[in-house]
Amino acid sequence: MITFSNVSLIYPNAERTIVENVSFTVNEGELLLLIGHTGAGKSSLLKLINGLIPHHTGGILTGEINVAGRSTRALKPGELADIVGIVGQNPINGFVSDIVEDEIAFSLESLGVAPEIMRKRVEEVLDLLALAPLRRRNISELSGGEQQRVAIAAALVTNPKVLLLDEPTSALDPSAAEEVLSILHRLVHDLGLTVILAEHRLERVIGFVDRIILIHGDGTVDLGPARQILSKSPIAPPLVELAKKFELGQIPLSIREFRKLAPEISETMVQAAGKNLGDTILAINSVSASYDQDQRSKALSDVSIKVSGGEIVALMGRNGAGKTTLLKCAVGQAPLTKGEVRVKARDPKSFTDKELIRFVGYIPQDAGDLLYGQSIKQECDLADLDNGVESGRTLAIYSDLMKIPSLNSHPRDISEGQRLGLALSIILSAQPALVILDEPTRGLDYEAKKVLITNLKQITSESNRAVLISTHDVELVAEVADRVIFLADGEVIADGDSREVLKASPAFAPQVSKALPNNSWISLSDVERYLGEKN
Amino acid sequence: MRTSRRARKENFHPLFFWLWAITLLVILLVSNSALVSLSISAGAIALVLMKPSNTYWYQSFRWSIRLAALAFTLRMAFGVIIGVPMPGRVLFTIPDITLPDLFVGIRLGGDVTSQRLISAFHEASLLVALILIFAAASALSNPHEFLRVLPRKYYGIGLATVIASSVAPQSARSIQRVRAARRLRGENSTGIASYRKVGIPVLEESLERSIDLAASLESRGYGYFPNPSRYRPHIWRLRETLALAGPIYALIFLLLLPAVSGVLLAGLLLFAVITPGLIS
Repeated sequence: MITFSNVSLIYPNAERTIVENVSFTVNEGELLLLIGHTGAGKSSLLKLINGLIPHHTGGILTGEINVAGRSTRALKPGELADIVGIVGQNPINGFVSDIVEDEIAFSLESLGVAPEIMRKRVEEVLDLLALAPLRRRNISELSGGEQQRVAIAAALVTNPKVLLLDEPTSALDPSAAEEVLSILHRLVHDLGLTVILAEHRLERVIGFVDRIILIHGDGTVDLGPARQILSKSPIAPPLVELAKKFELGQIPLSIREFRKLAPEISETMVQAAGKNLGDTILAINSVSASYDQDQRSKALSDVSIKVSGGEIVALMGRNGAGKTTLLKCAVGQAPLTKGEVRVKARDPKSFTDKELIRFVGYIPQDAGDLLYGQSIKQECDLADLDNGVESGRTLAIYSDLMKIPSLNSHPRDISEGQRLGLALSIILSAQPALVILDEPTRGLDYEAKKVLITNLKQITSESNRAVLISTHDVELVAEVADRVIFLADGEVIADGDSREVLKASPAFAPQVSKALPNNSWISLSDVERYLGEKN
Repeated sequence: MRTSRRARKENFHPLFFWLWAITLLVILLVSNSALVSLSISAGAIALVLMKPSNTYWYQSFRWSIRLAALAFTLRMAFGVIIGVPMPGRVLFTIPDITLPDLFVGIRLGGDVTSQRLISAFHEASLLVALILIFAAASALSNPHEFLRVLPRKYYGIGLATVIASSVAPQSARSIQRVRAARRLRGENSTGIASYRKVGIPVLEESLERSIDLAASLESRGYGYFPNPSRYRPHIWRLRETLALAGPIYALIFLLLLPAVSGVLLAGLLLFAVITPGLIS
């Protein structure tokens, strides 16, 4: 279906090649997973397949790429539109219409399909992706998962032979991600569609894939059966790490496979002692908030939470459950209609700009929003000035957090993980009592996530500081959070110890707890501690 | 669901407000009168207020009003300070700066006469009307729908127009987000300097979004096939014709009877401009 013969790609002015002399073949009806560190070239590889590179984005391409008998060198992406469908990282940016049905019909309109056939195709795709009830809805009002489904429907409507997806689940909550993946699985099995998807959260997709393409980042690429690639790949889901830790000798791709292989482990581990909690840092008392002027739909209704020093609290829940609104309460940016918010006994609305940063450090969903310097050096100097600390402080914090890139690099050009680290250091140099992160792991690979986890634990090692994170990433929560708060439809539906809350719901259970249901472990570090004690 | 179906029925043809804007622009240029510009400006604002919506392009209108106010102030200030000497009653005098001989006929400061003030006001009001006409058109029409109705032959033009017409409104939304983020860094986000700091990330973001949109159009075959079809065609109905008739009659009136009373014309125009709001 897709053949790469001796393909090399380099961007002008770039230091390294993205891929070099790569050859492989993808068969019809395969579900292929594309993995690699951030910036290794996953998106570029996808764009090569439908010709966006080099025709749209630029780049110097040698070798030959053939998709269903057509060469991407000679044909532009538009001329491949009937055989390749692509869903980008931010589907919302690519939407051409604002009504679901019209959006789906767009490709067919461009291809000049007759109206009667078009009606039928749109109807089929609406059914296939369970979008029929949403057909006349405005796309901007839909949830992230629904938007993702609309984007997939729009790509599938032309009956393509190949479907390419760039991080289809990264913005989705676990249940929505599951839904999207099972639809893909069905398309591959029922229609013989060839699917290639790039994804960081392997734990979500690994059970569905046939083969894996691993991009090393130095120009080389490995393609092979999932087990074979995962056994030597530096990137692996918690389940595979777990199997390696127990030295099972085989690579399990699903929880079921792991349970068949796994030894009976009777737990002897002593539970880690509970943390000493400090004073209450954030108190939210029966708060309601609404973005409507007439307050018909509520973003939050009667929510009360408390966060104490030394704690890491995770906020979970479906897309649109009100997580970001709740976080914004702490910086006085939420449209409150009722209730009160106190940060260290003060109303955040009463803080002056300079005071706010000493109480709350807030990293928004796109950490880049906080940055405006032209280089890392300038950014750190500006932060020292803004935060009124001695010069060099922010940079020192940054280099403590992680290995920092060149001081002259532009903050837009560094990797997601490095950018998050930069934003975190800027926030931390003001020494806030409460650190808030909104969806910090979107786009982070496992390595960057590990660094973040260490940093967050470091921040809360003293009991005068707390961290509040909103996230869909169950594995992150299992590793760092002391407590989990679940929001649904603007209401708190669970608030408790992360071990209990995560194990209680199957959709939100981390892989470790699914694989070893009889133990109280939820994260790899729990298992490491057990194995450490045993030896 | 019912509301969105109704909303769609109420929507005008995507090209309607652009044709409406072009007609008004011609009237503005032909009449060249402050009274007409004022009535068009007032009409445009009234019309936008009559058709409220939650879309981002609608929300951008308040930024356009600020832009119009800024343009008015600047034009008035320049008109008063710089220019050729004008006759009329001297209202007040600002200190005069003598320029080198090279700029003969131009003066800086000096006597401000009534005629100078009137002429500055006249030009400033034309400028305001011009800005508001286009602001109203882009606030009331969906840039994405515009792209769909444009003949695919003009792929490049269509894409450029969509990017241009959606960048401003979307940026208005990004500006709010980035300014909120600025406050999180402990900065007072007012003043000119903060606009630069907000501007850079917002421009970068809108560039990125435009590239994404272009890539999406390209990979979905937009503009590649000679005979595109329509899933749910937009129909130019009687309503659109009626709503456009007002401004067109005003224009004909203006061309046939150049000596017509300005007040009468301005009154007629004000009514004509808001017709789309009245009949939907």
